[in-house]
Amino acid sequence: METPKDLPKFAVLQLSGCSGCEVSLLNSDEWISNFQLVYMPLVVTTHKIPEDVEVLLVTGGVRTDEDIHNLRKGRARARKLIAVGTCALSGGVAQFKDKHIARESFIKASHRLRMPDMLPNAYPLDRFVDVDLYLPGCPPTPELFLTALKDPENAKIASIVCQECGRQKLNDMRPKHITGMRSGVVLPDICLINQGYVCVGTSTRGGCGALCTRPGHACVGCRGPANPHLNKDPEFVLDNLRRVFTRMTDIPIEEINATLASPWLSLFLGQFTDYTQDQSLPQRTKEKML
Amino acid sequence: MTTITYPLSRIEGHARVVIDVHDNEVFRADFQAMEIRGFGHYVRGVPAEQITVIVPRICGVCSTAHQVASVKALEDTFGITPPPLALDIREVLLLGQLIQNQATSLFIFTMPDRANASSLFELSQSETGKAREFSLAQNALRIRKIGTDLISLAGGQFIHPIKTVIGGVTSGITREKADRMIQTIQELLPVATELVDIYWEMSMEMGDRIGSWGDDEPTHYLASTEANNFRLNSQRLRVMQPDGTEALSFDPHDFEAYLQVAESEYSYAGVSSYMGQIVRANSLARINLTESLGTPRADTYLKRFVQTFGKPAHAIMFFDLCRGIELVYALEKAQQMLECDLEHGDTEVGYTPKDGTGFGLVEAPRGPLIHRYEVENGLIKSADFVIPTVHNMLAIRRALMVAAKRYVSPEGISAELERAVGRVVRAFDPCIACATK
Repeated sequence: METPKDLPKFAVLQLSGCSGCEVSLLNSDEWISNFQLVYMPLVVTTHKIPEDVEVLLVTGGVRTDEDIHNLRKGRARARKLIAVGTCALSGGVAQFKDKHIARESFIKASHRLRMPDMLPNAYPLDRFVDVDLYLPGCPPTPELFLTALKDPENAKIASIVCQECGRQKLNDMRPKHITGMRSGVVLPDICLINQGYVCVGTSTRGGCGALCTRPGHACVGCRGPANPHLNKDPEFVLDNLRRVFTRMTDIPIEEINATLASPWLSLFLGQFTDYTQDQSLPQRTKEKML
Repeated sequence: MTTITYPLSRIEGHARVVIDVHDNEVFRADFQAMEIRGFGHYVRGVPAEQITVIVPRICGVCSTAHQVASVKALEDTFGITPPPLALDIREVLLLGQLIQNQATSLFIFTMPDRANASSLFELSQSETGKAREFSLAQNALRIRKIGTDLISLAGGQFIHPIKTVIGGVTSGITREKADRMIQTIQELLPVATELVDIYWEMSMEMGDRIGSWGDDEPTHYLASTEANNFRLNSQRLRVMQPDGTEALSFDPHDFEAYLQVAESEYSYAGVSSYMGQIVRANSLARINLTESLGTPRADTYLKRFVQTFGKPAHAIMFFDLCRGIELVYALEKAQQMLECDLEHGDTEVGYTPKDGTGFGLVEAPRGPLIHRYEVENGLIKSADFVIPTVHNMLAIRRALMVAAKRYVSPEGISAELERAVGRVVRAFDPCIACATK
C-alpha cells in the first residue's frame, strides 16, 4: 500500500469518459505495491502530471481542445503510454461517425462561456500522439489491467470471445429469423447465434472472459476487432459476420443484410468499437494490442 | 475583481470551482462541469432495446443505476411488470452499487480531507500512526470490493452490468454463490463498522478543528426511498420541507410539475430546482426522510445520528456521515436478502415491444434518477435523463458561497479556502459524467 519514492512513477490521465476504466483499475489494486502513483485526480489531489513518468494510462476519448493539450503534455512526460478502454481507442460510445444529425444537435448544445469547446467528434488518442500499447474493453477487466502493467509482451489473450464463452455451437439448431440483441428467454449453454441473437463474439477480440455472453447477453464488441480484422475496412468485418450467420443459421440473406445495416449496427459497429476505424490513423499492430 | 479558480480532484469527472471576490466581498461561487457527454444526442434513432446497453456508459461509477433505470423505462413503455424474484435481484444489485459508491466516497474521496492527506494511499504520510493508516486503506478497499462483488454476482459484471434485462433478470443467484457472499459480508461487517466509527470520530475532530460543519440552512430534501422501507428500486419521489414536515410525494411520470431543470450559462451541467427552490438529494436527504432502515446495526447508527444532530439535520458535512450509515445498512440488507432463496422461480416475463413514452426511476447513490424515453417505430425518438447531481447544483453553489464568505475577510483570502472548497463539493459527491449526460 505504501508507495516508496524509488518505485517507477505511474499516472492516470482521464480525458472524456465515464470513469469506468478508473473504477476497474481500482479493483486490480496490485499495482499499488509496484508503482508510485503520482497523478490520478480521481483518487489523489494532484493537478499536474510530473516529469519522468514510467507508465501513463490514458482513458477516455479526445473531446475538447483541453483534452488535446493534456494528452500531448502527458505524452511528453511519459516513457510508455497505454491507451485504455474503448473511448481511448475509437472515441467509444461518444463518437458520431456518420450520424450527422446527432452531431449537429450536439455541437449546437455544447458551448458555454469560458468553458473548453467541444470538438466535432470524440477522437481516438493515436490521432494526436504515439501509443505504445492498446488495452481495449468497456471497461477492460481488472485482470487485463494487471496483464498490461506486468508483462504485456508475453500475454496470452484469447483470439475471439467464442474461445472463452463456453456456449456450444450446434449444427442442427438453425434459426430462421433474427431474434434481436436480447429478448425472450435465453437457453443456457447454447451459442447465442444458434438462438438467433445478433452476437458479434465471432469477430471480437477475447480476453474479457466472455463476461456478457456466458450469462446470456449478446457480445456487443467492446473489445474491438480480433487480430485478423485489425486495420481492415468495415466491409471486411461485415463480410465475416455475414459468413458466420449464413453458415450457422437459415436466416434469409436479405434479413441478415438488413440486420447488419443501420440502425441495428448503430451499437456495435458504429459506436462501441473501432471496426470502422479511420484508415488515416496509424496501423495498430497485433503486438501492440492486448 | 479577483477571480479564483480551484481545479477539483477526488470527485468523478472534470469540474472546477470559480469564486469572484471584490473588495473582500464574495460575489459569486460557482461549481462548473467542464465537459459534455451528450447521450441525449447519441441515442436518437437507436433501437429501443439497445439503449439499455448504451446508457450505462453515461457513468462508470453509477452504471448500475443507469442500467436499471433504463430497463424500467422500457418496461413502463411496454407495459410489463417483472416477477418479484427479478425485483429482489435488482435490489441486491443496487445495494452492491450503494456499497461500492459509499465506500469510495467515504474512504477514497473524503477520508483524506479528515487526515489532511492528498490521497487514501498517502494517509501514512499524515500525522497519525503509519501502521493504523496502512490497515485503514487496505480495509477500505476490502469493503469497497464487497460492493463490486455484489454487482458482479447480481449484474454479471461490475461496471456496465448486463443481467438486468427488459422483463426481469437473466438468471437467479445460486445458493452456493449466495452463501460465499454472505460469508464475506459476515466476516467484514465488523471491519466496516469499525471504519465507519473511525470516520465518524475523524469527522467530529475535523468539525471541531474547523469550527463549522458547513452550510446548515434548512432546505428541501428529495429522495425516493420510503420512510420505513428503504428500497433503492423505488417507485415514488418524496419531498421534505425545510422544517422537517413531509410536503408531498409524486410519481416519476409527473416529475416535470415538481422539478424544473434549466441549462447553465457557465457550466455544462444543468441546474434543477424544486418548485423554484433549492433542494438537496443524496445520503442526507434519504436519512432525513427515513424513520427506520430495518437492519439492526444501521438503525443504531441512525438513532445515534438523530439524537446527536436532530431531524432534519442540515449541515452539509452530515452527508458524509449519512453515507457511513448507508454503507452499514447496505451490507446488512444484502446479507438478509441473500439468505432468502434467489435461485428458484421465474426470473423474467416475456414482452412485446410497443411504441410510447416510459419512465424509469431508481434511487441512485446520489439521489433519485429518472430515465424518460419516447419510442417511435421501435426506435428512440427522444431520451431524457434526470440526474441526481443536477438536483444538488443550487445547493452546492449556496454551500460554496457560505464557505467562501467564511474564508474571505478584510485580512484577505485564507489558504484554507481551497481545502474548504474541496470538502464542500465532496460532501455532495457530485458525478460530472452523469450531470453532463
